[in-house]
Amino acid sequence: MVEKASNGVKTIAVIFGGRSAEHDVSIITAHIPIIQSLQASGQFDVWPIYISKNGKWYADKAMNDFAFFKRPDFESILSRQKPVRLSFENGLGISWPGVLSKSVRIDVVFPSMHGTYGEDGSLMGLLRMAGVPFAGCDMFASAVAMDKAFTKQVLFAEGISVVPFCWFTRAQWETENVQIKKRIAELSWPVFVKPVHLGSSIGITKVKKESELENAIEVALHYDDKVLVEESVEELTEVTLPIMGNDIVQTAEVERPLNKAEFFDFKDKYLSGGKGGKSADGALYKYSEIPADIGAEMTASVKELGARVYRVLGCSGTARVDFLIDNRSGRLYVNEVNTLPGTLYQHNWKKAGVSNMDLVLKLVALAEERFESQKNTTRAFNSDILSKIRGPKAQ
Amino acid sequence: MKALFSRYHPRYMRSLVYMLQASEYNIRDYLAWYGRTRDFSRVEKRKRLEKTPKALALLAVSWAAVLIVGAIVVTGILAADNMSHVAAVGLLITFPFVLPYVLAVAILVLRVIQWPVERYITSQAARALARHPAVKIAIAGSFGKTSMREILKTVLAEGKKVAAPPGSYNTPLGIAQFVRTLSGDEDVLIFEFGEYYPGDVRKLCELVEPHLGIITGINEAHLEKFKTIERTAATIFELADYLSEGPVYVNGENELARSIAPRDSIFYTRDGARRWRAKNASTNLAGTTFILESGDEKIEVHSELLGLHMLGSLAAASDIASRVGLTNAQIRSGLARTQAFEHRLEKRTDSAGVITLDDSYNGNPDGVRAVIDFLSSLTGRRRWYVTPGLVEMGPRKREVHNNIGRELAAAGIEKVVLIRNSVTPLIEEGLKESGYTGEIIWFDEGLAAYAALPHMTVAGDVVLLQNDWPDQYA
Repeated sequence: MVEKASNGVKTIAVIFGGRSAEHDVSIITAHIPIIQSLQASGQFDVWPIYISKNGKWYADKAMNDFAFFKRPDFESILSRQKPVRLSFENGLGISWPGVLSKSVRIDVVFPSMHGTYGEDGSLMGLLRMAGVPFAGCDMFASAVAMDKAFTKQVLFAEGISVVPFCWFTRAQWETENVQIKKRIAELSWPVFVKPVHLGSSIGITKVKKESELENAIEVALHYDDKVLVEESVEELTEVTLPIMGNDIVQTAEVERPLNKAEFFDFKDKYLSGGKGGKSADGALYKYSEIPADIGAEMTASVKELGARVYRVLGCSGTARVDFLIDNRSGRLYVNEVNTLPGTLYQHNWKKAGVSNMDLVLKLVALAEERFESQKNTTRAFNSDILSKIRGPKAQ
Repeated sequence: MKALFSRYHPRYMRSLVYMLQASEYNIRDYLAWYGRTRDFSRVEKRKRLEKTPKALALLAVSWAAVLIVGAIVVTGILAADNMSHVAAVGLLITFPFVLPYVLAVAILVLRVIQWPVERYITSQAARALARHPAVKIAIAGSFGKTSMREILKTVLAEGKKVAAPPGSYNTPLGIAQFVRTLSGDEDVLIFEFGEYYPGDVRKLCELVEPHLGIITGINEAHLEKFKTIERTAATIFELADYLSEGPVYVNGENELARSIAPRDSIFYTRDGARRWRAKNASTNLAGTTFILESGDEKIEVHSELLGLHMLGSLAAASDIASRVGLTNAQIRSGLARTQAFEHRLEKRTDSAGVITLDDSYNGNPDGVRAVIDFLSSLTGRRRWYVTPGLVEMGPRKREVHNNIGRELAAAGIEKVVLIRNSVTPLIEEGLKESGYTGEIIWFDEGLAAYAALPHMTVAGDVVLLQNDWPDQYA
């Protein structure tokens, strides 16, 4: 039985969870604002697709309610359910095998998975193969932005300022330890040691003296097989800018996170709930200044550079560009690009006059626009190359 | 079909008891609600059954009835003759239709038992009040009683020891309960008089024996119970009748109250009350500012209450404060402490910068007009007006709701969010008739709208939540 959404509404799948360190944050993003706004708009039949920490895919409308994931036994409830299967026949379909088999055609996908597999282009590759429009950045931008070293290399090649850095893989660290240490020693200290693929500041250490370096690298290599070491800007103002659009881009407000710790770590980003306790929507804004008080000129530079970075990396849908301002020199550096900002940075867009619903609906529209334009690109052409290869002909 | 079967679900009994509780055990209201309801599986939408002793007793009565009927049915089925079988099945089918009336009878029986007890409790309270030396102030009216009580309490507390029953303790039993908590050294006691049926206010006057009365206005609230607005007016003015000697303050901005008030009433309006004249008034989201003048005396006032319609009440409270002996300085600091009471144009700003004005306890046409008037003064930001409409408007339903639509259109409110029910299409009618150019957004249920609003608003928006639609009006 194929189920079709009634009264002409589109069927949208929101994919979240996943085998990533940011699994839980992904659940928050999926619900607040994505699923809740999609439902409030009344324009969609929303199918939540949750990927468990062990990689099983589940789809059940009960998961549209955020409260489901606050139940201590939600994992055991899901483990009793049949995982969902994907089909790529004429677009994307999900189905549940068995006697009472059921399948649902998906018109649009809203990926809401942070980090590995979700934000690194893997999921996007899958959705491209399926031939279904999906919200947010495409595979190429996601893959580059996911790797902090690649990002810096691409930006550097385009003449965009990034702080001096070096990178190495686990294998290199094991075999070329001395040379790597030498390269790191040439940077001006203190330095940051970061796993290149992880978001939400996981596994990042600020290293002030040499004796701390090895330990910091071990921590980073615990999470990743590639590590970035970069100079720390000591008198620093960090700012960040959410951007949306495909060919025409729109910037939100420049935001300044007001760090409690020395740098902005996972706890600050998602767990500190402010004076009033935990907040459902990420609590990020509690420690943010929006718009950042950095003067009109710097604000304009940030917005201009942000839009340039967005285009250079080929972002579409939405992304957030993080910047470092060196207070001593007044120089502006691009730090990294996040292709699926936690909770879509809805708190910032709200201050910029874009409601959650406007944001989510716009991202769906941008997804469809990109899909249409990609359809018009010819990807196959007829050749006679096969006939030129010698061998037996089919009878 | 599902609706029909909802009567055979164990939850049905709980639903019936909830309906009784939500109707405040008023059998007429409960039976009217029962008559309107088809599906009993989802009656508790806004609230839940509170497990009070009365509610538990009624649940017990229901279960007892089920057990008795169950026993009869089983006996009937086990009997040898066909007649018994038919009777058993017939009883099984009809029982859920009889149960609501069994509960109504149970309430009546309970009332007969309670009557002498209640009578004793209230007469004790009356005696205690008669002995109490405090100045007793009574507030009656279709709307604005709680706000008036809170303003008075706040202002008078600057110089006097004041007590007032909390919440909506405005029935004889509620007041009796409150009287037991008094220590005897209070200077002023303030009472809200609730009115549901003719004679209610007179009975409360006899219990409290007030020295001073305030009539906040008359409108269509509870019109379905009173049938005519004249009967509502007569009931509320039972307070003025009782206080033929004492001072009665009447809201002069309420036309009906003004037209029937005795000649010696003291009218309070946004221009002032008795000795105090209000001047240079202005209001915005930070509150209301004005000057009270009386001859050479002057009080510069800032209150956090929103809207110029609050001026009259503030002036009346100031005048009563002068009467009971507060100095101008005390009045000034008392007025400065006045702020919105729960769900009455109560302002909240969330972390995203969206300002919500919770006016969910304001469900009367005068209050609504005043609030729309206030909203119209807030320019330069998007304004959202969210309402399920007003209840108990009786024959004036169309006129009242059309008017709300017209007023919203005239005020240029950008977004009107309507909850689908029997009255909101009338608001839409009023809006369209007046060439409304903003956006009308529909939701099937209030809770869905409340859940969606945070996703639809942006920093700087003002969202007004007007009135709540209790389950019994579903």
